[in-house]
Amino acid sequence: MAAPDLHAAPDFHPKRSLAARIVSAYGQEIVIAAAIVALFVVVSTINPRFLGTNNLNTIIAGNAYIAVAAIGMSMVIITGQIDVSVGALIGVLATISGNLAVSGAPVWIAWIAPVFIGAAISGVTGALVAYGRLPSIVVTLGMLSILKGGLVSVTGGAWINHLPPAFQLAQQRWLGLPVPIWFMVALTLLAFLWMRNTAFGRSLYAIGGNPEAARAAGIPVERRIVQTFMIHGAFAGIATMIFATQLRVIQSTVPPNLELTIITASVIGGVSILGGTGTVIGSTLAAILFAAIGSAMIFVNVSAYWLRAVIGFLILVTVLVDMARRNREFRQ
Amino acid sequence: MTPPVMPPVTSPVTPLVSLAGVSKSFAGVRVLKDVDFDVLPGEVHALLGENGAGKSTLIKVIAGVHAPDGGTITIGERELAAVTPRDAVEGGIATVYQELLLFPELSVAENVFLGHAPTRGLGRLDWTQMRRRARQLLDSLDSHDLDVDAKVGTLSVANRQRVEIAKALSQNARVLIMDEPTAALADADVRRLMDVVRRLRARGVGIVYVSHKLPEIFELADRVTVLRDGALIGTKPIAEVTEQSLVAMMVGREIDHLFPKPEPAIRETVLKVEGLACGDRFRDVSFELRRGEILGMAGLVGSGRTEVALTIFGITPATAGTIELEGRPVAITSPRHACDLGIAYVPEDRGLQGLVRPMTIAQNVSMASLRKVATGIFIRFADEALRAAASIKQLGTRARGPDQVVGQLSGGNQQKVVLGKWLETNPRILIMDEPTRGIDVGAKSEIHALMGRLAQEGMAILMISSELPEVLGMSDRVLVMHAGRLVAAIDRADANPESVGAAMAGAAAQEAA
Amino acid sequence: MTAKKLIRHETILALLVIVALFVLDRQSDRFFTVDNLFNQGRLMTEVGLIALIMTFVIVTGGIDLSVGSIVGMTAIVLGVFWKNLGLPLPLAILLALAVGTFAGFVNGIIITRFRVPALIATLGTLALYRGIAEGISQARSVRGYPEWFFVLGQGSVLGVPTQLWILGLVALLSAVALAYTTWGRTTYAIGSNEVAARFSGLGVDATKIAIYAASGFAAALAAVIFVSRVSTTRSDMGTGLELDAITAVVLGGTSIFGGRGTVVGTILGLILIQALKNGLSLAGVKSDGTVVLIGAVLILTILVSNLFHRDANR
Repeated sequence: MAAPDLHAAPDFHPKRSLAARIVSAYGQEIVIAAAIVALFVVVSTINPRFLGTNNLNTIIAGNAYIAVAAIGMSMVIITGQIDVSVGALIGVLATISGNLAVSGAPVWIAWIAPVFIGAAISGVTGALVAYGRLPSIVVTLGMLSILKGGLVSVTGGAWINHLPPAFQLAQQRWLGLPVPIWFMVALTLLAFLWMRNTAFGRSLYAIGGNPEAARAAGIPVERRIVQTFMIHGAFAGIATMIFATQLRVIQSTVPPNLELTIITASVIGGVSILGGTGTVIGSTLAAILFAAIGSAMIFVNVSAYWLRAVIGFLILVTVLVDMARRNREFRQ
Repeated sequence: MTPPVMPPVTSPVTPLVSLAGVSKSFAGVRVLKDVDFDVLPGEVHALLGENGAGKSTLIKVIAGVHAPDGGTITIGERELAAVTPRDAVEGGIATVYQELLLFPELSVAENVFLGHAPTRGLGRLDWTQMRRRARQLLDSLDSHDLDVDAKVGTLSVANRQRVEIAKALSQNARVLIMDEPTAALADADVRRLMDVVRRLRARGVGIVYVSHKLPEIFELADRVTVLRDGALIGTKPIAEVTEQSLVAMMVGREIDHLFPKPEPAIRETVLKVEGLACGDRFRDVSFELRRGEILGMAGLVGSGRTEVALTIFGITPATAGTIELEGRPVAITSPRHACDLGIAYVPEDRGLQGLVRPMTIAQNVSMASLRKVATGIFIRFADEALRAAASIKQLGTRARGPDQVVGQLSGGNQQKVVLGKWLETNPRILIMDEPTRGIDVGAKSEIHALMGRLAQEGMAILMISSELPEVLGMSDRVLVMHAGRLVAAIDRADANPESVGAAMAGAAAQEAA
Repeated sequence: MTAKKLIRHETILALLVIVALFVLDRQSDRFFTVDNLFNQGRLMTEVGLIALIMTFVIVTGGIDLSVGSIVGMTAIVLGVFWKNLGLPLPLAILLALAVGTFAGFVNGIIITRFRVPALIATLGTLALYRGIAEGISQARSVRGYPEWFFVLGQGSVLGVPTQLWILGLVALLSAVALAYTTWGRTTYAIGSNEVAARFSGLGVDATKIAIYAASGFAAALAAVIFVSRVSTTRSDMGTGLELDAITAVVLGGTSIFGGRGTVVGTILGLILIQALKNGLSLAGVKSDGTVVLIGAVLILTILVSNLFHRDANR
């Protein structure tokens, strides 16, 4: 053909190496892992105590609950929704858990109850979003008010003391590693494999990528959204299990800005805020990165009060890069 | 590439799908009137008709997207009053729409098997089998170069279409509906697609092939059905029709009667475009537009016609070349800027680009000329309503009044509102992109008459159209675009279906090269 | 038809306000006193200023979650410029207003130039602006403002609290701007169909940037009044204010999907919320209990208005 053809270029994909494939599929995860390594190298040269076992434990175990909650949040965001009430939910669940423990219920009930209650509460949110056809940001803003107000008006913000020592799950160690780290690693891997290798998991990506096409492909979109919110609520419950048991007291209020930290972990971990892409390995790595940044700031003598500004800046940079990538890749 | 010998059409084969007396109305407008239609195994059944003839509605009735108001649909043995999407899937009916239903972030293999992926127990996906079967399906479509692991979002339109066809085949489709599959494809890809269609036919799949392109239909189809204004005009074996008879069936009346065009009074040049380019969308486009002239712009979808208009209107500013307005060079950087310079653009997609549907006629009509009905920043509402009423009267818009919400109007009347909006700005140059797409015949000829009148009053009109009769009937000169370039400029006297059609297909480009 | 529906929503809301006021009056004889009403007006001003401009933001189909953080940041800027840098207080106030406007302008740029969804862009700046406030203040509060400054938040002019005059003026200006001007028309057009608005030659991006900048300005103005009312500056000021503002706007009948809404509706929504808060607390319900009610009211209102809207369209 003599005329230059603008559309005829075939998508020729020579056999790519496994490494190239991994880099292209998990780019964001690799970037974050590299950032963590770089941070550790730089900060530990400035202040070697940064690499002390105690500090590492504090960084990772102390923030494992954020990583666990971010797993569920990632699923919600991948389906194209959002939940800004998760911080309030964790506050409520922690209070319930603590009160159960103090009231003499078996500790395993105090541990497990938040998982079921979390799933139930988030299920209601999901039903309002899916069947009420309300934007999730509005529903969860409303839920945030309800949970936060409800919690404080019932408890008056009182502290829960005298927690039974057996309740302190997060302070225990299995095989020398703190329990929260076990939880974080195991749940991240499980969720990652589940989302990659099951029809249910893949349908979350399909719904977030193109809801109409997902419906046409026979995926029950509304039911999946409710189920995703329930799973997310269950993960918030497991996060509570770690969060509520790591200190000797539980303050029955809502941890400030927890929802933002959790959403940020998901987004910076590579879960596109427009839905349809990302993995929970990224969100867990991002949660570790934040914790490390927070700790590093202390070790290099920067006031920790700047932490939030740094995180806000990171969110914006990540989102701008994500938008730029999308515009480049899917230019029509 | 010899087509396989087909069984005679009249043989007593049970149709895969048949429709009897199907009707459908939207908002009181009948878009399908008592239509009969069927698909036999191993045939390509072409569905023809001008824009707005009811083709899309018909295929959506078969696919279960729209429930008909009357008539019956028989899939295999089942007789139904309405098809659900589930019935369609169970009956082996798959549709490849123009806007493809794919997931850009998922891989090719996943897209093919989404919703019915092979599993290995515990709900685990069998990736190996999924990729292998996707590979087989694509190979059977002669797409050996398509990577099953590539993200669909990174593929070209032609390859996405192949993924969509593979998806249909993976569900054991026995009826494949293809809605203008070649509209956005280049020649090489069109030939490949036609091979694929022949292979499927040889396997006994019944194919409903919707297209505007007559040469394709003569090459592929076994039977052809023509719709006009929602009514069935006829179903015939391809051997019994010619291009002329098909066009006559589609158009239904003499072209001259359809396009009442007054004698033009062409005057000085208003717009001069030299070597215009915008990225890789189009390049090297040069032409002049004169007062009193209707300049037609023909070309296939995707040839860069609309893109040229968008650049002149400032939506996608030019990356090279010059635009001169009445002799002065201008750099048009935004629609607002274009507006101020006296350029108006009646866009291709009325619902998305032309109108704010929840707003009233008055609010839409004043939208591009708000300053004229405002004192400072304050809108003079009475004045606005008055002007809208005048516009309704001038264009013969059928509406209750300026306060009626635009979304409630029919397509033709909506188009008149868009036109009214731009006439309020007193433009020097009026660009009309598919001015009569999806509009009933009456409104169509009214808009054509209006265009003729405006040109006579001295307006310069650039008309982009996919309808050859419209281009030939209305234009004083015809420009033809192909593959992002202007390949021909033909005077009215020399413009005929052969000369323009050949240029559209790229013949002129080959001569030039 | 749209106009009729809006009027209907506002009529219902107005009736609801009257019923609420009546019921609350029966609950407590302190409710309908001039003192109490003025005091409630003071409490309503900060969220009110933000909600008025938020109406424009939501009508365009956007959202601004960063307003609460802008309040915190500008409050800190005000305190630091005055106390630590020793600038005259009027100048510090002007600079704080400028910083707030600029913060909103940045939101607008991220949203229009980089095409980031408003929800995400302002979620990011919510963290950033609050973080800047915390970073600058290092958890120290600024006190000891001169007496004249308290006129703004604690004093009265002609017997009416000073900030109520400001709120009234902003309410009047924004009501007129949205209903009667070309800016308002552009705002509605963007929210109903942004592409068509752009294709009609309207200045879509410029309008959106201006609206987000105005939102930042309103938050800064609220911050100055807030500081004057409570006599102190802290970095956590305005936390959660965005929720109260969005609730008032949505309760007032503005569609969260854009294209529909009025300033009058927002004002009614504000009054209803404030009356509920006040009335319930007078009736002995703890203030946190009213937060629950507001959350429930928010969800229910949208659910109901969504049902109506869908019926009207299909």
